[in-house]
Amino acid sequence: MNSGSPECRHARLQIGGDPQGLSADVAAHLSTCAECTRFRAETLALDARLRAALELPLPQFRKAVPPARRFALAASVVLAMIIAGGFWVFRPQPALADEVVAHVLEEAGSWDQQKLLPGSAVADVLRTAGVQFDATLPVVYAYACPFHGHRVPHLVIQTDNGPMTVMLLAHEPVSQRTEFAENGLHGVLLPAGSGSVAVLMRHGEVPADVAARIVSAARW
Amino acid sequence: MNPSSGGTSSTAPFTRILEMLRPDLLRFAFWLARDRAVAEDVVQETLIRAWKSREELKDSSAVRPWLLTIVRREHARLYERKRLPTVDVDEVEALGDPALASDGDAGLHDLRGAIMKLPDEYREPLVLQVLGGFSTAEIATELKLTQPTVLTRLFRARNKLRVIYGLAPAEDAE
Repeated sequence: MNSGSPECRHARLQIGGDPQGLSADVAAHLSTCAECTRFRAETLALDARLRAALELPLPQFRKAVPPARRFALAASVVLAMIIAGGFWVFRPQPALADEVVAHVLEEAGSWDQQKLLPGSAVADVLRTAGVQFDATLPVVYAYACPFHGHRVPHLVIQTDNGPMTVMLLAHEPVSQRTEFAENGLHGVLLPAGSGSVAVLMRHGEVPADVAARIVSAARW
Repeated sequence: MNPSSGGTSSTAPFTRILEMLRPDLLRFAFWLARDRAVAEDVVQETLIRAWKSREELKDSSAVRPWLLTIVRREHARLYERKRLPTVDVDEVEALGDPALASDGDAGLHDLRGAIMKLPDEYREPLVLQVLGGFSTAEIATELKLTQPTVLTRLFRARNKLRVIYGLAPAEDAE
């Protein structure tokens, strides 16, 4: 496919504007155009760096805030709490597994990645989320996705059993292993230290030994 | 699906959520304002406004985008109200602002500088999308633009940053 063709220009505009979203026509085009597929992979890698760049180092950010301003901010929050004199309680949230599935479905294009990401791109994502993970695993997709107010590494790993999605949920403790299946996805939530790890596959259940290896590779 | 366990707390008080999300709000405000003092002011106003309006939030899962929207509007309001001068981005960089530090990662530092230098019309939707997690439809609504316009601006923003990242720019649609 000629990269200057109308189809390519349309696809690149869509990809450059929203690399996470993949409309049906662009997806169909990508299946026949290696150059645009490469363009998307480049754009996804760029976005991983963008996310890392936008995640400013807050401790250093805070260091330079004048004490008077810090006091004013703290005072305003405390004052607001006192004025209210109570607590505003959230309604119960859907189960964690449901939300993981919903999130993965929103990023359906992540399953189709083939190209191994450079270690630096994966490291950026992990650093952004404050999580450590065995970098030797073949990662083809990596984002630090917003999830419950935190950045959560959303990875896709190539395995002998096909692509496997991993979400490293450092702030989501679970008490026990929980298997689930919904919308064609099979998954398992596993306790991992003070948090948990979600592992999902499209075809068949997640092999227990692979899931255990994933959990042992995560640190926080 | 009926998982036997879930692990999320269902009784997190609003104040705790505000404190938890404050770093995100501060980063977001900084990228909009490109000035840490202004960002602090915007976040301070946002926290107060959010607290006063907390009953408007019906869906707890939407708290982050709700707060980020307030940040964006407070930022716009601050400029309208005080008619603040625009920020000289070269000066911000020259000051060696610690907020732009990158732990020796020169590429990341360059990228931050390039984002700072993006025109507002490109930087704002990019920050909303990448840092805020907003969809193009939501950005269009928030910025009162059409979706194709938002898409084009995001494309051009990334196209400018591709060069900094060592990639060839894509042919512009125009």
